[in-house]
Amino acid sequence: MKRLLTYAILVAGLAGSAHAKDVTIGAIIPLSGASATQGEDQRRGMELALEKINVNGGVLGGKLSIITEDSAGRAPTALDAAKKLVTVDNVPVLIGEFSSGITIPVGEYIAQQKKVHLNVASTSIDVRKIKGDFYSVIGLDDVSGAFSAQDAIDRGAKKVAVIAPNNAYGQGIADAFAKKFKELGGEVAASIMYTEGQTSYRRELQQLEKSAPDMYVYTAYGKESATINREAFELGLTDTPWYAMYITMCTADSDPKYIEGQIGMDLNYVGPSGADYQAAYKKQYNGDFLSTFNGFAYDAVMMAAAAINKAQSDDPAAIAAALAEIGKKYDGVTGEIAFDDEHQRVTQPYLKLKIASGKVASN
Amino acid sequence: MFQFVVDVALRACDLMLIAVGMSAVYSLMKFPNIALAQYAAMGAFLAIVLQRAGLPLVPSSIVAVLIVGVVAVLLNRVLFERMLAIGSSTAMIGSLAVSMVISAIFLVIIGPSPARFNLEITRPLRVLGARITEHQVLSLGITAAAISVFAILLFKTDLGRCMRATATNNLLADATGIDTRKTKTAVVAISACLAALGGIIITMKGEVNIQTGLDLLLPVFSAAILGGLGNPLGAVGGAIVIAMAETLITNVNFGPILGQDLVFLPAAYATAGSFVILVLTLLWRPRGLFISEVKRV
Repeated sequence: MKRLLTYAILVAGLAGSAHAKDVTIGAIIPLSGASATQGEDQRRGMELALEKINVNGGVLGGKLSIITEDSAGRAPTALDAAKKLVTVDNVPVLIGEFSSGITIPVGEYIAQQKKVHLNVASTSIDVRKIKGDFYSVIGLDDVSGAFSAQDAIDRGAKKVAVIAPNNAYGQGIADAFAKKFKELGGEVAASIMYTEGQTSYRRELQQLEKSAPDMYVYTAYGKESATINREAFELGLTDTPWYAMYITMCTADSDPKYIEGQIGMDLNYVGPSGADYQAAYKKQYNGDFLSTFNGFAYDAVMMAAAAINKAQSDDPAAIAAALAEIGKKYDGVTGEIAFDDEHQRVTQPYLKLKIASGKVASN
Repeated sequence: MFQFVVDVALRACDLMLIAVGMSAVYSLMKFPNIALAQYAAMGAFLAIVLQRAGLPLVPSSIVAVLIVGVVAVLLNRVLFERMLAIGSSTAMIGSLAVSMVISAIFLVIIGPSPARFNLEITRPLRVLGARITEHQVLSLGITAAAISVFAILLFKTDLGRCMRATATNNLLADATGIDTRKTKTAVVAISACLAALGGIIITMKGEVNIQTGLDLLLPVFSAAILGGLGNPLGAVGGAIVIAMAETLITNVNFGPILGQDLVFLPAAYATAGSFVILVLTLLWRPRGLFISEVKRV
């Protein structure tokens, strides 16, 4: 009888422990290198999500934890990290990276390994080509390009000149912009894809000027953008309005004098339900958001936890099925998240912004 | 149209001082010192560092130029003279190696981000329909002044006479009592100072990064060869021709030919323009555009 009781307790204990299970997921973000600021911000978003999840009962009755690996902003390093997370740590879900050029190869690998991948920052439309259980929590550039075109039209632009970096991101967003802008009856008089990493973009700007636009539309990475803004000012092009796609990225490193009065758009990184989150972030890190990217990392972790709980399993296939279900309509801190047939976020709220007195302000 | 003239002048002034320095060194040392393009970036970085340390722009530029001159003389004594004893192509490859090392040093000390002077920003002026900033006008003025001083030095002073004599015939100059080693050292220092000043001028108009020196190498080299290596003032003409080619190639509208409004060649092709000119010149006038054959006896 006593022995039977011991068995019963043991079995109950085993069943209990099988049920209450700790789950570990993986993240690859740029904690060093050119995008280290944004990477640190992503880490903060994930940390806040993790705390909230574990305070509210965790996942599958146990705790959720994240193993974070540094990509150093390099694709080979990120791939090594992905291999380690998949083969050694055996994570069912992976979050990351930052830049599209790195997310795509990592995504291909994760898809091969049949794990779930959540994209939280890469907006190139080329991420659509990744098959498998790849989900984008952030809106892609077909959406942002179209939004910018509508916004430019609304602000009275009829004939624009576009300059963007000659890579997957720049081509994608410039195409999306041009398509929508022409649909709305506007004219794209010139479109230049600049070569990255030059010390001067004067010649490109002069070519744009020849098309005599009534608005310049551009997007560029921080340091290159600083050069473009300075030379546009020196050439007197800033007498015409300048429209920045992802204005916080475009103006981060520029001298305020060159960019005063610029208008543009950026991700709305705090949705209607995001006020509590923003307050929690401010309290935890004693300051404002480092970048626009923390909220997406936060939402990704929250959605992953919800999917694991819904699936009642840490099996990647089951999590993916649950994620697709949750992703029909999820109320995230970055706004409503819903996935299309290709697992990409359908609606991404954006903000209309301008530079006033050297600071980004709403318009 | 006047904007075209301004653009050519600005680009020519980017290349001119460094090309003149390269040509001057070649005339005496008989090897093209590739590290000269890096001396330009070095001068700019030093001046920026000094300005950040609290010196005003003009003194920090002068100190930077002088430091680069000293560094060049040291490098010449320690490395290039020994390499030259083996052969001029060895010295040239050696100078390429030195410029790579300098690049690596910049990367470690300054980092990959571009650096700028702390200068007051002013709106561009309108001159005959062209826009030009005060800093750009100033850079044109400094270049013209530096070239003039160099020309006076070369043609009106004893040092200049010694330089020309050594360039024409080293042995004969030695025999007539000219201290050719001292003359060569002077030319090495002067050319490095010119290059450093050129780098500072480029940075005054914009910014400098670790790539600046290597980016300048091809157009500067083309300008120096075009002017006839060893003919310092020929390099002035060479720089103008290269600047014209580069500006023209990105300013011609191919739209009408292709039935569209505006079609331009990508601006990244500008350096290809200078390369084409260089190849054509080497085929047509192998010794450069501005060299009189008599001098070469």
